[in-house]
Amino acid sequence: MLSVTVLVSIGRHPGSGRARRAVRDAQAVELALRLPNAIVEVVHAGNPDRSDVRDYLGMGIGWLRVLSLPAGADAVPPLVSWLRARRPDLVLAGTLAEAGEGSGMVPYLVAEALGYPIVAATTACELDQGRARLLQALPRGQRRAYSVALPLVATVDAAAPPARAVAFSEARRGRIEAAAMPSAAAEAALAWERGPARPRPKRLRAATGGSALERLRAATNLTGGGGTTLVHPDAATASAAIWDFLVREGMVAPANRDEGGADGRG
Amino acid sequence: MNDPPKRVRRDPRAERQGRAVAAPAPVAAEAPTRVIAEPAYLILAVPDMLHGRLSPHDRDVLGAARALADEGGGAVAVLAWAAADFAGAGADRLALVAVTDCEARAATLAATIRHLAPRHVLLPDTLTGGGDLGRRVGARLGLRAAGDVRQAGLARVVRRAHGGAEDWAGAPPPILLLAPEAAAPHAGPRHEARPIELDPVAVTPRVRDDGPVAVDAVALPLGEADFIVAAGNGVTDWEAFHQVAAALGATVGGSRVVCDAGHLPRHRQVGASGTLVAPRCYLAFGIAGASQHLQGIARCEAVIAVNSDLHADMIKRADLAIVADAQSVMPALAARVRRGDA
Repeated sequence: MLSVTVLVSIGRHPGSGRARRAVRDAQAVELALRLPNAIVEVVHAGNPDRSDVRDYLGMGIGWLRVLSLPAGADAVPPLVSWLRARRPDLVLAGTLAEAGEGSGMVPYLVAEALGYPIVAATTACELDQGRARLLQALPRGQRRAYSVALPLVATVDAAAPPARAVAFSEARRGRIEAAAMPSAAAEAALAWERGPARPRPKRLRAATGGSALERLRAATNLTGGGGTTLVHPDAATASAAIWDFLVREGMVAPANRDEGGADGRG
Repeated sequence: MNDPPKRVRRDPRAERQGRAVAAPAPVAAEAPTRVIAEPAYLILAVPDMLHGRLSPHDRDVLGAARALADEGGGAVAVLAWAAADFAGAGADRLALVAVTDCEARAATLAATIRHLAPRHVLLPDTLTGGGDLGRRVGARLGLRAAGDVRQAGLARVVRRAHGGAEDWAGAPPPILLLAPEAAAPHAGPRHEARPIELDPVAVTPRVRDDGPVAVDAVALPLGEADFIVAAGNGVTDWEAFHQVAAALGATVGGSRVVCDAGHLPRHRQVGASGTLVAPRCYLAFGIAGASQHLQGIARCEAVIAVNSDLHADMIKRADLAIVADAQSVMPALAARVRRGDA
């Protein structure tokens, strides 16, 4: 039997701002629930009286541990002391929090304090005799396999299987077990000045070379390929035009056609 | 950067007298390499170098490091995992360490930070590259890290927080993880890129890299796909369509009409009621471009459309539009792709 702890936080809906379970944290709970022979404990550091944390109970876990902390306290030291006392075999967490600073440091700080290795952005986990085989999500849909001896910390990426839906009755029935912890204020987070997000302008691709008129046209033409239209070309011209466009965009490499194959870190 | 060759000045008097006018030898104006001998402080930049090359995100990070160094008379030191043109990208000092394992890289970076004592360390904020490395080393050395930094300055950085809804501004912590396009890449004179020797760091690896896992690009989830080939009502030759997708190594997608008719499963639907996609390139065959479908591809960077209707909305949206029957273009394109670059 394996002991798995999942660290969860309160999420925030990107459109309405409503508090709910965090998407990647819920995927981490889902990953833990799918592991065979695992005892799953879901831990949240924060306010045990908040109803939003009950969304995790709606996934059918039965009970949820909350390390009660006052608002604005640093979550890491209580989590670390809790985990040090229990030494779980696997600690799962989402990659980034959806509310607050969202530095993504908590799983790394926990791993460093416990002395566990950490693998980031995983989408699948298989356990086999004291070792875990993890799939990491790389950019552009690529995947890489890692094999690590337990115990370890893994963060779960958005590409992992989606979490099961929340059942209201389970959320109501589930137990919250609160544990009081000594806490200190997170002073460093208070030093930031908060304002609404301003969209940054997208960088225009500056054309170099050619005459000044061509560069001006390229800079003011906001549609990438120049907005060309070919009317009733023959199939060969059309396919050549599409091929050139793809080569220019870098979607295919002219000499090597094997663009979609597995590509590892260089 | 080279100036274009100077225009030959005509000398009409010499031409009338029949004397040949010698063209001035084109002088390639070479900007002198900028050397910073005694920097006030160091900014350490660690590019991802995925596939052994500098990506545009990496170049932005190096540009940001250059800007931070130039603000106060400092120098840019680069810790690189592979060789590239760092002098042109603005590096004053270069440490080249060829390690691929993430734990060895973290140990090397920690040792480099202890050795060089930079004022700030800049990395690209990617989940499995610089973002992972920077956070690991921050946890190991007890240094604070700021992620998703949109603007970086010596006195003030702006980072996106609160689930992407807020911009937080404040004094920069030691480790800065930069978002893409947070700064312009360096376009000034070349720098020295003086090599630095680092003692190798011994690490017992705990995480074993089992290598890349083969991924079927054609069947990728649409949300993650980088290149999508989509079919609409104008496609009748499905054999040819799937051949084009397989030849290009692109993910298959479809409009709502096609999924309703059962030609493609529902999870392949692109659009407002399907999946909102954000690939770098979207190739649409026979799609008229209903507004809900265009909503689905709102974030696409490059769109190619093949449609027999000149006035279709998809033709207007596309960067390259081809008004022709999809059935004739698809086999020709598949053959062209298989031929490669002639």
